[in-house]
Amino acid sequence: MSSSDPRASGLNARRTTRSLGAGFFASELAVLFRRRRTWAMLLALAAVPILIAVAVRISSSGSSGRGPAFIDSITQNGLFVGIAGLTIAIPLFLPLTVGVVAGDSIAGEANTATLRYLLVSPVGRIRLLVVKYLAAVVFCLAAALTLSIAGILIGIALFPVGPVTLLSGDTVGIGDSLVRSLLIALYATVSLLGLSAVGLFISTLTDAPVGAMAATVVLSIVAQVLDSLSQTEWLHPWLFSHYWLGFADLLRQPIEWSSFGQNALLQLGYVVVFGALAYGRFSSKDILS
Amino acid sequence: MPRTWHRWIPAAAAPVAIGAVVLGGVFATSASADPADKTPQQVLELAASSTVDTFSGTIEQSSNLGLPDVSGLGGSSDSGSSSDSSDGSDLSSALELLTASHTLRVYVDGPEQSRVQILDDMAERDAIRNGDDLWLYDSSDSTAVHSTLPADASTAPDASAESLTPAELATRFLDAVDPSTDVTIGDPVTVAGRSAYDLILTPDSSTTLVSSVEIAVDADTGLPLSVDVFAQGTSDPAFHVAFTSLSLDTPSADLFDFTPPAGTDVTEKALPNRDDAPAEGSATPDAGTHPEPIVTGTGWDTIVELPASTDPSSLTDSPMLSQLTTSVDGGHVLQTTLLTVLITDDGRVLAGAVPVESLQAAAGK
Repeated sequence: MSSSDPRASGLNARRTTRSLGAGFFASELAVLFRRRRTWAMLLALAAVPILIAVAVRISSSGSSGRGPAFIDSITQNGLFVGIAGLTIAIPLFLPLTVGVVAGDSIAGEANTATLRYLLVSPVGRIRLLVVKYLAAVVFCLAAALTLSIAGILIGIALFPVGPVTLLSGDTVGIGDSLVRSLLIALYATVSLLGLSAVGLFISTLTDAPVGAMAATVVLSIVAQVLDSLSQTEWLHPWLFSHYWLGFADLLRQPIEWSSFGQNALLQLGYVVVFGALAYGRFSSKDILS
Repeated sequence: MPRTWHRWIPAAAAPVAIGAVVLGGVFATSASADPADKTPQQVLELAASSTVDTFSGTIEQSSNLGLPDVSGLGGSSDSGSSSDSSDGSDLSSALELLTASHTLRVYVDGPEQSRVQILDDMAERDAIRNGDDLWLYDSSDSTAVHSTLPADASTAPDASAESLTPAELATRFLDAVDPSTDVTIGDPVTVAGRSAYDLILTPDSSTTLVSSVEIAVDADTGLPLSVDVFAQGTSDPAFHVAFTSLSLDTPSADLFDFTPPAGTDVTEKALPNRDDAPAEGSATPDAGTHPEPIVTGTGWDTIVELPASTDPSSLTDSPMLSQLTTSVDGGHVLQTTLLTVLITDDGRVLAGAVPVESLQAAAGK
């Protein structure tokens, strides 16, 4: 991790503003977004819709074959590229990047032996956990918005843009469709809150950030596999990945809000449970590094 | 670390709190104000006098008919052979409606305007009626079917989706209440946040597959809110349809104003006009393919028989049917928990909520 410079400056920032929670949060964000790794992940996410758009543009110039519904509608309207990008990124790429950020949150500090310095300064352990979690949430939002905006921009560049056809068959104007794209990005952000909390908890268990990252990503995949098995149907509404693709309900006319609400409630449950677990572990742990 | 054990208290308390909220929610819905006592006959009258024809709501429908889930069997392979297997895809979509679970949204403004949306994963099927215009839209393959109702048609032909609403279904059961049915009232229930009477229809017959039908009738308006059909020997409903949310406000008018989006495959489909049928019907070849069904038996034991009309091999050779049916004496039988369908070797189709032996006996007459 070639991030000694931003980390040092982040520590400086912490030292000057440590008395304020908001200042601590701002410095944590500065550390996160000054890292080359964070930008590499956001660029990789932005590449997803760009690759889709370019591939569809090259391959569909002659034929008009029917592919999956979302990929097919790209050629008619570039504004769909962002949604198609999110659809493809939600099962793997987004959990991957969120797992890296959340898994690294505490274990990364422990690994680089900066955790005890953070706690020597009068930063409470609870506040540290909360700030680390909020930074991961901001990253989720940044990741979802990156996918959405990159998709819309490349779509405008490569495909015709016009009124958007919703799943219900109704047509809405460009302004309305941009609002819905924003809502879908928010939906994706909310969807990742539970996974971020799980990652934060795992991160308090170990001093090896790679292990915490891998465990978080593996859990997200396990949850999705369980969600697709009919034998575990009783478990499905309790899996944090259950509503991940439910953002399609935002593309109906009128918008079906119930899946947004159910998703938010479920993620809140995960945040409470794993936040409490992380607190239990982190506050009772001997910080040796 | 014994001195830090109390730091784990939140971690232990959080699942307990969530469990309490979940269970509390379950109990809270069952403990609502009970409506005034009514006799079964009064509730039947209440349901019959219901004048609600403007509402919107979300409906959940599930069924447990003992049929395999055929959603993956025929519907998805429409890319190559859609032209010659239209019967098969119609059959599979009908079976899909019966075997899978669905969430629907309905918007109704009077008898002339309605919209039913079947919310699929990443797709949606819509049935819209606006005055004389009927639209069926399927977003998964962007196709639309447009029909215009004959001006003098008294009742609209039911779109298959529309017949799935609790009100439509309950009306059919309630219309069929006759001396062969025992009507009782169960404990008041809460459906979609509204208190309702639980009307229980029990067939007074030993041969039917239906053990009971439970209809929740809204205490305020008489609108049927849910229908559960129970089969003999099962405790879970074989067919369940219920509102999960209901609003009696007038839905927004532009919901019924449907224009197919650009790039949609629109098919115009003429509806048979009943008054015109005798005049020119004899000349149309369609007349032969819709023979009058023969109805035998009464009440819950009713058996409907379709005479041999189409080529029987087209039915029995269909790979999906041969997977679903079993061979019995005199034909093939499709057995579900609620309904038995017998396709005889000479091409007649008999169906009823009765055991297969009754169908065989009826076929042998």
